[in-house]
Amino acid sequence: MCGTNIAKIIDAEAVKKSVSKLPHVELVETYKYMCSNPGQEMIIHHIKEHKLNRIVVAACSPNMHERTFRAALRKAGINQYLFEMANIREQCSWVHDDPKDATEKAIALTRAAIQRVELHDSLESLSVEMCPTSLVIGGGIAGMTAALELADAGHSVYLVEKNNHLGGNLARVDLTAPYLYSARDLLTERITRIKTIDHIHLHLNSKVTELTGFVGNFRAKIYEQNGKTDGNEKLTEVKIGNVVVCTGYKEFDASRITHYGYGKLPNVITSFELEKMIREGKIETKEGKIPKYVAIIHCVGSRSLEFHGYCSRVCCMTALKYAHEIKSANAKSYISDIYIDMHAFGKGHEDFYRRSSEAKTLFLMYEKNDRPVIRRAGPKDDCEMLIEVNEKLSGETIEIPADLIVLMVGMEAREDSAEVARLVNISQDKEGWFIESHPKLEPVATTTDGIFIAGTCVAPKDIPDTVAQARAAAARILAKISKGKIEVDAIYSEVDPDLCSGCRFCNKLCPFSAIEFDEKEVHSHVIAAMCKACGVCVAACPSSAIKGRHFTDSQVFAQIDGLMEVVHFAE
Amino acid sequence: MAIRINPTLIDELNSFGAEDVQLCYHCGDCSAVCQHSGEIFNFPRKSMRRLQMGLEQKIETTFEPWLCYYCGQCSTQCPREADPGESMMSLRRWLISRYDFTGIARQFFRSKLVEVLSIIGVAILTGLFLVIYGFSGGNLQIYDGEGAFLPSTFIHKFDLLIGSVMAIFLLINAIRMWYFTMIKGVDFNIPWWYWLKNIFTLPLHFFTQKRYAECESKNKSGIFMPWLIHLGLMLGYAIMLVLVMVYIEELQYGPDIIWKVHIFGYLASIGLIIGTVYFIRNRLIKSKYVQYKKSHDTDWVFVCLLFLIVLTGIAQHILHRTGIPYWANIIYVIHLMCVVPWLLRMPFSKWAHLVYRPLAMYFAAVYTDAKEKQEVISGSYAISVK
Repeated sequence: MCGTNIAKIIDAEAVKKSVSKLPHVELVETYKYMCSNPGQEMIIHHIKEHKLNRIVVAACSPNMHERTFRAALRKAGINQYLFEMANIREQCSWVHDDPKDATEKAIALTRAAIQRVELHDSLESLSVEMCPTSLVIGGGIAGMTAALELADAGHSVYLVEKNNHLGGNLARVDLTAPYLYSARDLLTERITRIKTIDHIHLHLNSKVTELTGFVGNFRAKIYEQNGKTDGNEKLTEVKIGNVVVCTGYKEFDASRITHYGYGKLPNVITSFELEKMIREGKIETKEGKIPKYVAIIHCVGSRSLEFHGYCSRVCCMTALKYAHEIKSANAKSYISDIYIDMHAFGKGHEDFYRRSSEAKTLFLMYEKNDRPVIRRAGPKDDCEMLIEVNEKLSGETIEIPADLIVLMVGMEAREDSAEVARLVNISQDKEGWFIESHPKLEPVATTTDGIFIAGTCVAPKDIPDTVAQARAAAARILAKISKGKIEVDAIYSEVDPDLCSGCRFCNKLCPFSAIEFDEKEVHSHVIAAMCKACGVCVAACPSSAIKGRHFTDSQVFAQIDGLMEVVHFAE
Repeated sequence: MAIRINPTLIDELNSFGAEDVQLCYHCGDCSAVCQHSGEIFNFPRKSMRRLQMGLEQKIETTFEPWLCYYCGQCSTQCPREADPGESMMSLRRWLISRYDFTGIARQFFRSKLVEVLSIIGVAILTGLFLVIYGFSGGNLQIYDGEGAFLPSTFIHKFDLLIGSVMAIFLLINAIRMWYFTMIKGVDFNIPWWYWLKNIFTLPLHFFTQKRYAECESKNKSGIFMPWLIHLGLMLGYAIMLVLVMVYIEELQYGPDIIWKVHIFGYLASIGLIIGTVYFIRNRLIKSKYVQYKKSHDTDWVFVCLLFLIVLTGIAQHILHRTGIPYWANIIYVIHLMCVVPWLLRMPFSKWAHLVYRPLAMYFAAVYTDAKEKQEVISGSYAISVK
């Protein structure tokens, strides 16, 4: 009854009375909270006392409490799959307001569940071995962190990096916001440790070209090309249990915004070009002069209708960091910070913003889709360029003098992210970022078991969030490794090899790549551990050779029959 | 047409006292709490923004900063400690330096050294001139009349000369203020009778400083102390100025002094003594009033010099009345050594607000009338003005 959730609309006693008359129904009970401990105890007690062999609970959604009742069945000593739930809350009492009709529908739903459960089989779960070795794709701060975390727990890791060095995008950065830690210091310690730990197998200049198998039992091919000349290639095949994808991001191409003049005006540079200048210890114009006026433009490629709608999250604080660094290098420089909104959401960020104000950074606000326009200054002006912008806080159209303009380019998904997504069988959103299995509760898992994602390949994020995700992914893998074996749900598809014609329709259709083809025997075979029991192959098979366990034709038809039977309501 | 901003203004402002203006993030709390901020004249937020951005063209052509009487509520409320009250004060200093065509005010605001040295220089020159004049035909033992060291007839002429020099500078600066704010800064027509209609605002605000009293009313400070004392001080030196410019011969003259002149002299002295002591004390202890928490060098010069003037003035009067003309004459020279630089400094210092404030109230009244007419013509809603 779920308190009054169900009982206020549905007459539980009428349902009880109606279904009691059905064949094979031994016992019907109503209870205020069946999911509570006393409720479960009651079920266990009745199973034992009345020697019941099938159970139906008419209550809430199976998403909510199927596990609870299955556990009760196990406790009572019968197979947990001999159970069915009729959802008379979400699909009935919550969505109807006529008690009579709702009660009739509840009876129909319960009857359908009863007719289905009669045909249920006892099913046994599978368990497979978990290979303790992991593969980490990407050698940036995320990949290195995940690899070290796994290696520190004593497990072998293959770390595959496309470039000839570790560090990823972070290696291109000088200081980090807001505490101004050196990026080099953050990286060096990690790189050194990775190179000294024996059971981290580092593959530079390498790509993963193939990944087959399923959670706990993947096989990956690592293609390594040392040096630029051919003939130095190496293909390694490794056996691994889990994969962490940390492929990172690439920066937005600033030349796509034509009225910023990037590529045409020599002193319009991107944030990464400024990083390079800072690392070389010289912030100057192309002509070799110290810039008197420096302008920083935020949201280049981010938060716009034309390019990317999302916020790249790190640029605001990075811009403040530049203001700090430029001012430290050339105390006489004036910095104009041209922004849309100042996103100072993280720890220490608001303080950092305040300190930048104190250092006399001039903050100028522009409207989201009313971008500044850069043009060359005239011969009489004391600056190289002029930026025209409708300044929001003053309401004035102004011209900002500038000798050097820094474009805060946003993050975007890498060009090869689609290729990576296909390789490890995960999905991408419309912007190209990898999709997590639940954005809040499963931020590093994917819909493919054993494939984890971390860092900026998932979405733009800063270093602390990236590191947290990398460690989270490693923790998830370590949990699986320490369990040793993985339980596979007993609900999956099965191919009857005698009926299979070997047409291979199902192979292509399976969204989880769970169907293998046996060339020798010429028939398909479902890898139980990878199957999610979606039923696509069952429906598609022209020979009806595939059976969905726990969702057999007869079970589904029985349920439909139960629903469709006209209910004669005996008052 | 886009207006060029001047990112370097923020540095320049430092020397005028606006040290925290860049901290402002434009929440608008200051304008909300301000007694005088309204729909037509909205401050301090707008001024803060213009200062940050270095919109010199816009800052120069508005008299808005003069409508603020610095009660300090905005600075107390400011969540960023950007001190809008002090920023408005600095803005007024900056405007004084802009109205001043000689560039002297700018030098004074920017350098303590220049200001102090010029004051000492003028004081020494004045002293030398008076001593040479005194010894050329007078006797240190005689205070006034025949054979006096500094006879009042001579002092009268001397005062008028110094007063005229000061007045000319002040007048030119006031005309420049009018040109900047009411010609360059107004883009609609102002009928001449609006100027006539509102002329009464000038004496009204000059003598009552009622806007200052309105500021104070929010402060819950008893009998509006800073306003009352400020008014006393201002009326004190206004009366004194009239006395020395017009009635000096009666004022200085010996035992048969006219009581009508004398009584004003005493009243003015009381106002000046209380005022200078009160303001020096507040600035020293950084009293509960926000407006005294920060003192620009020029503020100190003003009150300290005035205090010296009052002290020496009273001292020479007592010495003269108690029959010690020798010392009375010496103190008189010192008194004038303080008075002359103080008077000559006026058009180039904060003191000039004596003229700019009532003028700004006058301009504001004229502007509001014209603006309302403009709004009616252009069909938008009439604006309610506080």
